[in-house]
Amino acid sequence: MAERARRPWVDALTGQVLGLVAAFLFAGVVGGAIIAAYGESPLRVYGVIIDFSTARFQDVARVLENATPLIFSGLAVAVAFRAGMFNIGVEGQYYVGMITATIAAVFFDLPGVLHLIVVILFAALGGMAWAAIPAILKVKTGAHEVVTTIMMNGIAISLVGWALNNLLRTTDVGLVDLRSDRFPESAVMPHIGDSLGLSKETIPNSVNLTWLFPLALVACVAVWFLLSRTRLGYEARATGLSPGSAEAGGVSIGGVQLKAFLISGALAGFVGLNHLIGDVGFLGINYETTLGFTGIGVAFLGRNHPIGIVLAAILLGMIARGQDGVAIITDLPREILIILEGLLIMSVVVAYEVVRRVLLRRRQRVVRAEEEMPGEAASAPA
Amino acid sequence: MPQGATEKPGTSKDVPVRMEGISKRFPGVVANDRVDLEVRAGEIHGLVGENGAGKSTLMRTLYGLYPPDEGRIVVRGREVRMSSPRQAIALGIGMVHQHFVLVDRFTAAENVVLGSEGGAIVDLDDAEERIAELGRSFGFSVDPRARVEDLSIGAQQRVEILKALYRGVSVLILDEPTAVLTPPETKELFADLRRLREAGNAVVFISHKLDEVLSLCDRITVLRRGRVVGETTPEETSKAELAEMMVGRPVLFRLDKPKVEAGSTVLRVESLRLGTQLKDVDLEVRSGEILGVAGVEGNGQRELAEALLGLRPPDGGRMLLEGDDLAGRSVEQIRGAGVAYIPEDRHGRGLVLEMTLWENVALGRQARPEFSSRLGTLLIRRIKELATRLIRAFDVRARSVGVEAATLSGGNQQKLLLARELDGEPRLLVAAQPTRGLDVGAIEFVWRRILEQKARGCAVLLISAELEEIYELSDRIVTMYEGRITGEYPPTAPPEELGIGMTGGRAAPGAA
Repeated sequence: MAERARRPWVDALTGQVLGLVAAFLFAGVVGGAIIAAYGESPLRVYGVIIDFSTARFQDVARVLENATPLIFSGLAVAVAFRAGMFNIGVEGQYYVGMITATIAAVFFDLPGVLHLIVVILFAALGGMAWAAIPAILKVKTGAHEVVTTIMMNGIAISLVGWALNNLLRTTDVGLVDLRSDRFPESAVMPHIGDSLGLSKETIPNSVNLTWLFPLALVACVAVWFLLSRTRLGYEARATGLSPGSAEAGGVSIGGVQLKAFLISGALAGFVGLNHLIGDVGFLGINYETTLGFTGIGVAFLGRNHPIGIVLAAILLGMIARGQDGVAIITDLPREILIILEGLLIMSVVVAYEVVRRVLLRRRQRVVRAEEEMPGEAASAPA
Repeated sequence: MPQGATEKPGTSKDVPVRMEGISKRFPGVVANDRVDLEVRAGEIHGLVGENGAGKSTLMRTLYGLYPPDEGRIVVRGREVRMSSPRQAIALGIGMVHQHFVLVDRFTAAENVVLGSEGGAIVDLDDAEERIAELGRSFGFSVDPRARVEDLSIGAQQRVEILKALYRGVSVLILDEPTAVLTPPETKELFADLRRLREAGNAVVFISHKLDEVLSLCDRITVLRRGRVVGETTPEETSKAELAEMMVGRPVLFRLDKPKVEAGSTVLRVESLRLGTQLKDVDLEVRSGEILGVAGVEGNGQRELAEALLGLRPPDGGRMLLEGDDLAGRSVEQIRGAGVAYIPEDRHGRGLVLEMTLWENVALGRQARPEFSSRLGTLLIRRIKELATRLIRAFDVRARSVGVEAATLSGGNQQKLLLARELDGEPRLLVAAQPTRGLDVGAIEFVWRRILEQKARGCAVLLISAELEEIYELSDRIVTMYEGRITGEYPPTAPPEELGIGMTGGRAAPGAA
């Protein structure tokens, strides 16, 4: 019986690992076939990805730099998802977060760290404000958040263009680019390497691993705490899993979903920060895009769980880094790795679902066997 | 007919279906274990057993839906292998499922013909004529031109049966056919089935309602955990004996109703209106009293329960809980006022299956200061303590409070729900179809717990489509039809009288 008592989580863990291995193998084989069709060796390409992501300290740092915004966008998607909503609008929410952060960076004159904190807060508030519109529309009118957030993404793109043309446009007539003023030093996020006094050989200036990465990890812990330890998180999960039961249990569905969506938007506000204050130091028309959409993949890969999201973000960070390597070393189009990324997300999602169903069925059998025939449980076929 | 008849000619004629040593395993579960079953011509054969005893699996095997792992099926003396219902129908075996598979917007005749048109051009007139003829020969009254959506449930069921007969079926399997019927409809169905029997057909009647099986069937086979535990006839057995065979231990049918003097009025509902579903409903439930609301499902019962819980705001009327109007209050406030709810939809309105047992116990009390701090964190240790205590008190069989509710059986899920709702001494219990889908043992458990609440002085509003349950528990009975209360009866009123109320006729004044 002692062995049986351990089984549920051993089952779960082996199931997860087997599912992941199967998914990676499947994606690897199909991706490999595509690579082979281009006349390149799949193993060589995979070797390049791993090599470029892990060979040197600075490679790892680049992967973590890539992962930083993806952790935030994955968390943003996950928080909404756990409450039963699909936030497709992380993309637009972080654009608006970049606008509000730029406002704080350019127009406010604050001392040192305080300025930085205000810039970050403004980014979160901007994302939250942009998320508030679809959230209120959903709760008040029932407008589906997928539709409204997609529309809000379009509006956000135009809003950035308008802001750069008017409000934020640099006064420096020597600059022809459409961009904001350069941020003061107090509004720029220091690089971890500089803060720790690492040499430029170890970690060159082009690597933008900033303190936003540890902040992303803190956000993971905060989201974990929110979901599993607070009443709001509990009500949000109940709403996401069974809105009818949650409602009958006295949960105010609308209120909970509104709050969850606002938190999701605030997290989305962080997504553009590493680009904005950790890398370029101004808002230009060539700002980084698609981080919000990639966050959907990150959330799915990470099963909407904070730890899974960190791992998924790092994995996608590696694939992004691998693109550099593939471009340098092989003749393959860069898109090949985007295809690989898609394959991976798809097969992992499918594998998780298969594992979930198998595990549930097995657990039901064990529990029911014990509940119905306590003496005969051991004789049930394995 | 070629050779190959392996049975003696004499028996094969009277035995249209013989199942021998049928075993069917699903991963980890033996659904049927060496089951023998013989269905004879001109008999109604009852197949009884608890949920999960293997009745449906056995009949699906006979209907060609599952290939058996072991054993053989002999139809009129010849061993057959079927891989689809189409083959079963060709062999004269038909099945009427609990949930009808009819196209609402088609006429009865179109539904009957659907799937056996036999060509590109459908001669509906001819089909209608044949169906009417078929109906006449068995004494079924169905208008072949009537649209299914306009037919009563009982008539829809007759269309299903006609569908099978139209295809030349002589062995008819009925899966829990009375679950959806009112008492008069049940009577009609039984008359129909008896006429089918007189015409030499065989009927397999799957049910867990023992009274029906005893009054209708010629022979009865009892399944328990996939095995045949007995074959008997109504003359040889009794309800108590059948129940004991099904469950494996003696079952009490007559529960001792606690003698409680009904106290003051706890709930008074006055001309409650909600859309088209509730039309001026008036009710009164007193403390220590169980008011049974009888009615065929879909006549406003769900809306009544949900309005009382604050899940649907009523359009008008009052719902007074000890004088306090609940209309317009939130679910949280209404629950806080001492209303407990056993929903008819355990999964959609009660439990969150993917959550753990303790998380399910917390639902409904997550906002109380005992269970969440002022900072908004859950006091998980206290919730787990409560859950552990409740699970023990309500005999929920689970390894720990940390397992997901989805891993529990239906009966244990309902126990978990009862544990959550009944703890905390509610003043009013709204119990909607509280034993739906449960097996005999679990039903008894749920009934006892409801009676306990009554004994404690709780007012109970019992909404049920099962008349047996209504009679077993209620102190007073009202019937509901199309959103109206159509009559009030004492628990001694015969089912026929309730049947009148359940189909819309107002009860004669003074019936109560």
